[in-house]
Amino acid sequence: MKPAPFDYVRPRSLPEATALLSDESANAKIFAGGQSLGPMLNLRLARPAKLVDIRNIQALRAVRVDEKSYSIGATLTHAEIEDGAFEDFSQGLLPFVARGIAYRAVRNRGTVGGSLSHADPAADWVSTMAAIGATMVVHGPAGERRVPAEQFLVGAFTSKLGATELLTAIELPRLSATARWGYYKVCRKTGEFAKAIGVTIQDPRAGIFRVLAGSTEGRPVLLARSGETLATQGADRAAGVARQEIEEVLPHLEPGHRQQLAVAVQRSLQKISLLETV
Amino acid sequence: MPMLNVSLTVNGRPAAATVEPRTQLCELLRENLNLTGTHVGCEQGVCGACTVVVDGKPQRSCISYAGDCEGGSITTIEGFDDDALMDELRVAFSRHHALQCGFCTPGMLITARDIILRLGETSAARIREELSGNLCRCTGYVGIVEAVEQVSKGKAARDPKAPVAAIEATVASRPADTVRKVFAPAPRPTVATPSAGTSARKGWSSIEQRLTVGFSPDVVWDRLSDIREVSTCLPGAEITELDGDRIRGKMNVTLGPMKIAFNGDGNVMLDAERRIGRLSGGGRDAGSGSTAEGEVEWRVLPGEASDSLIQVSLSWRLSGRLAQFNRAGLVQDVIQRLASIFVSNLEASLKGEAIGEQSVKSLGIFSLMWGVFKERFLRRTRKNT
Repeated sequence: MKPAPFDYVRPRSLPEATALLSDESANAKIFAGGQSLGPMLNLRLARPAKLVDIRNIQALRAVRVDEKSYSIGATLTHAEIEDGAFEDFSQGLLPFVARGIAYRAVRNRGTVGGSLSHADPAADWVSTMAAIGATMVVHGPAGERRVPAEQFLVGAFTSKLGATELLTAIELPRLSATARWGYYKVCRKTGEFAKAIGVTIQDPRAGIFRVLAGSTEGRPVLLARSGETLATQGADRAAGVARQEIEEVLPHLEPGHRQQLAVAVQRSLQKISLLETV
Repeated sequence: MPMLNVSLTVNGRPAAATVEPRTQLCELLRENLNLTGTHVGCEQGVCGACTVVVDGKPQRSCISYAGDCEGGSITTIEGFDDDALMDELRVAFSRHHALQCGFCTPGMLITARDIILRLGETSAARIREELSGNLCRCTGYVGIVEAVEQVSKGKAARDPKAPVAAIEATVASRPADTVRKVFAPAPRPTVATPSAGTSARKGWSSIEQRLTVGFSPDVVWDRLSDIREVSTCLPGAEITELDGDRIRGKMNVTLGPMKIAFNGDGNVMLDAERRIGRLSGGGRDAGSGSTAEGEVEWRVLPGEASDSLIQVSLSWRLSGRLAQFNRAGLVQDVIQRLASIFVSNLEASLKGEAIGEQSVKSLGIFSLMWGVFKERFLRRTRKNT
């Protein structure tokens, strides 16, 4: 299939991009790597009148660091994160997650911000950023605002981004050397969308104990009770709590899906407990 | 639509073309530049047959367009005639019977070359992982993996760390703020009691929502018999014609970049005695070439004291390209959200309150009535724009 006709523009700066988006009736769509939008265009499921290609805006590729946190630009590609193109402050988590996304040819073009904005519940960054406790930096006509990553998704393919807004960067806490993480996804085939994602992040020095179930068909779910148990009683006990908690907070999912989620979360916890016994 | 003048470098030579902005890179290469070695398979980023090298990195040429490759440097399979590594791969592919029909081969070779450049000597398991984005329907991959493994023997990995983004020390962001607290707030609220399940009918999905309202069943039924009133509670729905039990209407849904408008018709059935209403029908979205069928059934049951229990069940089936997209569950989430908004609007309407803003915007999906929609979206391609 070939896409329906569209116009193409390549702004060089953020204000220029925002101006292009400001007219809602123009039916313009932000385009970065196009690795999710492309198939939708080709299938004519998405028929925007105009693509606003933001890949040439240098400001969207910036990496900024201070003592406790860092921010990464929205149009950095998955492959750049995978290859360590900038210093890693996540104790290996981001490169690990990046390598598991789709295929290398897709990772070479697809961007972290594009994936988040696309808001596919099964996308790796959607779960990862929510688990880390990242903050989305959103730019719009009214200026800049910040949205906690765990609240960014409203549901499938729907995020808190308004039609005239774009995601410019993601701010993340730096993980300390004592941090441990576990990331596990259930996939039918390498590179496919995940059926279930489990993420555990434990960083006693930064006070982070978070357990998350992702690819839930909607917003990823932070498992609060499992997180508390992880902090007070350790990963093994948290694994027992996680299964129970998934049953409680995701009752609308099919039992098979809840089972996959429980397994993914438990394996992410298991990775922490294995790391601790070493 | 204005045409686009594109200049790029293809296989080391400058090339230019005047094309529509929607032209895919693979199309530009094949149709305008006559480089038919790039094969076009699925056109949705799944099969890998169209993989070419863009600015030194393998990429899909079916999901890249004329405008965004402006100024780029492209190497297609034709551009590797004098490449020593590709030469080795070609010989190894022949020796190991790594191709039969040859359709996937240009993409396989380009991916294989990248694997060896990046990783050097590589295990068969890692090669399989790295090749997972290139589909071959003939060989069963055994010969391909053997060929790549053999060529990779003794090769050294290229240093992957080409610095792309210089780190700016200490800027802007507010430190303490980002490191937010640990124990997360509770999960999504449950408006009503949803339960999901596979419908008894083949290929159909359904969900159910319940709502208890502080009005007597008679009052509730009375309100729910007014189809126009009910339709205003469903975001995106619009009734254009109502004639006896026949109904015509529209359902607009915005789902990420997809804007879908189903036009359709259906039937209304109202059983006042048992307080059961049913609306069923189907519609078509011409733009995406998709059809939806759906049914919504509502029952008003006596609740505790003078309350009523409203039970709403939505069933739907999608076909066409929307259905090909095929990711069960996502549509369910959308319908779930739609149903939740519907139920809360209904409650507001019964209480005589203004219906929330959400009902005005089209949020939902589908063909006239409420439930029609369907599971299955986007299967394959990956996320990440």
